[in-house]
Amino acid sequence: MVGIIVVSHGNMAEGMLDAARMIVGEMEGIVAVSLREEDAVENLMERISSAISEVDTGNGVLILVDVFGASPFNASSRLAMVRDKIEVISGVNLPMLLELAIQHGDEDLDSLVQIALDAGSSSIRTLSQTLKKD
Amino acid sequence: MPVVHVRMDNRLIHGQILVSWNSAIKIEHIIVTNDIVAGDPLQVTLLKAVAPLTSKVSVLSIKDCVAYCNSPEAENENIFIIAKFPEDGLALVEGGLNMPVLNLGNQAFVRNSKRISNTVFLTESGVKALKALHEKGIRITCRMMPSDPDSEYWLTVEKALPEWAK
Repeated sequence: MVGIIVVSHGNMAEGMLDAARMIVGEMEGIVAVSLREEDAVENLMERISSAISEVDTGNGVLILVDVFGASPFNASSRLAMVRDKIEVISGVNLPMLLELAIQHGDEDLDSLVQIALDAGSSSIRTLSQTLKKD
Repeated sequence: MPVVHVRMDNRLIHGQILVSWNSAIKIEHIIVTNDIVAGDPLQVTLLKAVAPLTSKVSVLSIKDCVAYCNSPEAENENIFIIAKFPEDGLALVEGGLNMPVLNLGNQAFVRNSKRISNTVFLTESGVKALKALHEKGIRITCRMMPSDPDSEYWLTVEKALPEWAK
């Protein structure tokens, strides 16, 4: 199983896990880490590091963050750059998390990265475009 | 004036900068300046990787930052300087940077710091640096976001931490 960590500003990460549980039920190996107003990047790095130890079973960890270049991304990247088998994806959304929750027990890290990118981007669409297709 | 904003923020380039400040000010060049960060290749790589599409990012030592900002090359740019601590701000001024306003951004808790607000914790040496800047006639502000008021923050520091500000 590949470990999954969602890191966000404020409570969004916990909220996303809460929302995901409503759709796919209890999830294993998926945890949330929140950036608080008073945090330094280094505190956040420590919490992400503990989360990595918690969910890493030896098959790698995928860290999903909210905004590219923001503190959750920066803290995660500083850890991922010096360790093996950790990837960081920015722009997390609920469809991305749901797809990973379903597949992270069966696929390897590289495949999951592609699955996450596809699920995240293909879920963004307008109603009008969808109706036109029919 | 090439340097349009000088901010002390120990998160360096992050969401507030990329989203809020980058849309409020026309930033062409972000210079991150702190001697420790400039000497850490991993942080330098990452900071350059998160550059917004509209500006370039340099990571320089305090000395190199002052030299660059006073060079002809800097004259036609809008530069946004981000350093880490108030002491960096004082070193910039003592090194010869013309800085009318120093803005405090996030100052997270560090060892031996005291809390002023959720986002500002200062050490004694940080307060002394702000005091020296204030005495040089530099306005100290504390604005996380561009929409925050630009009132004189030294008065708040003096009131909150009188034992260090005297």
